[in-house]
Amino acid sequence: MTSILKALLLAAVVWTLPPGAAAHAQGGNSAHRSFQELSQAARQARDENREDEAISLYQQGLKLKPEWDEGLWYLGTLLYEKDRYSEACKVLRRFVAQDPKVGYGWAMLGMDEFQTQDYGRALDHLQRGMALGLGDHKKMASRVFYLTAVLLTRSERFDGSMELLFSMVASGEDTAPLVEPIGLAALRLPFLPREIPSDRREMVRMAGSAALALQAQRFEEAEKLFTNMEGTYPKEPGVHFLFGAYLLGVRPDDGIKEMMRELEISPSHVPARIRLAEEYVKQQQFDRGLSFAQEALRLAPKDASARMVLGEALLAKGDVAGGIRELEIVRDQLPDLARARWDLFRAYTAAGRTADASREKEEIGRLGQQDPRH
Amino acid sequence: MFLVIPFLALMSAATSTGPLPRPGNFAEIARQADAARTADRMGEAIRLYREAVRLRPSWNQGWWWLGTLFYDQDRFPEAQAALTRMVAIAPKPGPAHAMLALCEYELEDYPHSLKHFEDWAHGRSPGTDDLGDVAAFHWALLLTRQGRFEQALYLLGGRARRRGETPPLIEAMGLASLHLARLPQEAPPEWRERIWLAGKAAFGASLSNFEGSHEYSSRLLAHYGQEPNVHYFLGTLFAAEHKNAEAGAEFRQELQISSQHVPAMLALAEAELGGYRLAEAESLARRAVEVESKNPDAHHLLGRILLVAGQAQRSVGELELAKRLDPERSAIRFHLASAYRELGRKQDAERELAAYSALQKREANLSGSGKAESTGGDVKAPR
Repeated sequence: MTSILKALLLAAVVWTLPPGAAAHAQGGNSAHRSFQELSQAARQARDENREDEAISLYQQGLKLKPEWDEGLWYLGTLLYEKDRYSEACKVLRRFVAQDPKVGYGWAMLGMDEFQTQDYGRALDHLQRGMALGLGDHKKMASRVFYLTAVLLTRSERFDGSMELLFSMVASGEDTAPLVEPIGLAALRLPFLPREIPSDRREMVRMAGSAALALQAQRFEEAEKLFTNMEGTYPKEPGVHFLFGAYLLGVRPDDGIKEMMRELEISPSHVPARIRLAEEYVKQQQFDRGLSFAQEALRLAPKDASARMVLGEALLAKGDVAGGIRELEIVRDQLPDLARARWDLFRAYTAAGRTADASREKEEIGRLGQQDPRH
Repeated sequence: MFLVIPFLALMSAATSTGPLPRPGNFAEIARQADAARTADRMGEAIRLYREAVRLRPSWNQGWWWLGTLFYDQDRFPEAQAALTRMVAIAPKPGPAHAMLALCEYELEDYPHSLKHFEDWAHGRSPGTDDLGDVAAFHWALLLTRQGRFEQALYLLGGRARRRGETPPLIEAMGLASLHLARLPQEAPPEWRERIWLAGKAAFGASLSNFEGSHEYSSRLLAHYGQEPNVHYFLGTLFAAEHKNAEAGAEFRQELQISSQHVPAMLALAEAELGGYRLAEAESLARRAVEVESKNPDAHHLLGRILLVAGQAQRSVGELELAKRLDPERSAIRFHLASAYRELGRKQDAERELAAYSALQKREANLSGSGKAESTGGDVKAPR
């Protein structure tokens, strides 16, 4: 990260301290006099941008008072600013251990860990920071969302990544830095933007631009980009799936052809099978739909989407008991998945299980989501 | 998270600032520490355990909990200090060796970490399955970094079968499969795709899902076919499927790209031995020994070839050298026992067979193919 960006980011976050920090810092009996002197000098050095001196003073202060949370926070952020990420991590871990409910503490730690390439911990801590809330720190939130999204992609959680990236687009973020992350998630390539192989960076950019155009409902531009991408990279995994996913919405038969091409290139592609199963069920070709759903679940037995589509295909084919069995597993796995709840509501109703249907309806109300089929 | 198996619910921890019990009352403080820990009040638990071990420094269970609580908060220097005390005073540290090794791994003290993983493996109390998996995973990372790729893959394969696919496991398998002696965080960004592809292929093969494995290995070949170690890796995948001709072709292709590639020479020598073409096998194994005179695998294979060729005395020489280079490898001990038996050295043969049995049992425990012994303690899994 450039130092300017970091400076902006830190300017946005450092002024807020956890409750009680100031009291800690100022707590004053005579035994703490030298600590008070150190803490004041550290603050002054920081205010006057004498960063190295401030770091040294905070370190001295923390030797006298290891649990000084203001000291831990500022030392952590100053070390981050000086690209001393490993040291910053050690300090911020002590900070969050003392007050585990400060969201931006976890977020800052996650940002540091990202820099040390400790990606697993970074993702965990960034998400923890987001869950706890980042307050009004808009610049920090933007960076935290970005890093979380690219790390979700790297850990093959593409749908979660895409959701986060499009939420950033919707909130008015500049889309230029999001083109590659969106392209990677769309093509289901588990890389960070800096890990994109140089011979396929353009492909990723095309995918990202097309997905952004689609999101903005610029359909003509999106289709042109998809077509261009497919023509340039016809044998790359993910390309036909992405184009096919678009075509299923506008020309379903062409979409099916693209999905089948994807399966020739990527025989174990589960999402392509799920999309095909959905489409065939929609076209009332139930046996075909069921077959793709079963294949998807065989390849990914823990995949809730695959099981949900299998349940839907069974219901569509008239196997109500079988469909309910699969959908109940999905519901137990993901209780907040509205689509499975709606499926179950309809299935219970069809089976005459009115009490179960009412319970599902109640849960749907709690989730507050419309039937995705309507 | 990076192989996190959380054993303490950190987020529910409330940092208590309540008063400590009356000073000097060890039993009461220890009781309160345990209560705070089980109630997820981690800050308070740490404070109380600290006080308890200050009052009674010989309380090894207190050091254990202090170490694991710090570890769960990613406070590795403090965790290391506590676990070092625990290991020093406990008569049978067992899983504490693994925990200490994990701390040292995080602190980048890799030599000590490796040593303590080895101590853990030698012990008779590996701890829970969760701890075993996390420890074996990190040990495998360090073995990869040291260039001991086969041992690393052995440990990782066990984890793959027990726990299924995770991104860190794929990355670790990819590094070991491509013989890239780095930790995941040390790999440059431009290696990412090949590591991932190799990891996916290796993971599929470890579950005998060769169809899935080929999908990724063919992508690896398409983009990185000219890079060292790729053809060797593809050869090992074919060998796992018993497609010996295809495997041989890949190993030979590797030697075209990397003429000094000892694992490829040994794989070809092994195939020649399997076909009883002993002269060809010996020639390849000797070439491998010339290139890497301290490679235990090379001496081991040469010893086996000589044994089959009826040259037991020369075989013993090679196998004894292999044993000196890697005393922990069970297969070397087995073949050495066979060679001693050929020479009528019954006592030596029995000793080596006993060593073989003990080592094999440990290897089975670590790879998960055998049942790990229970500690009988209440040790929980760390990150």
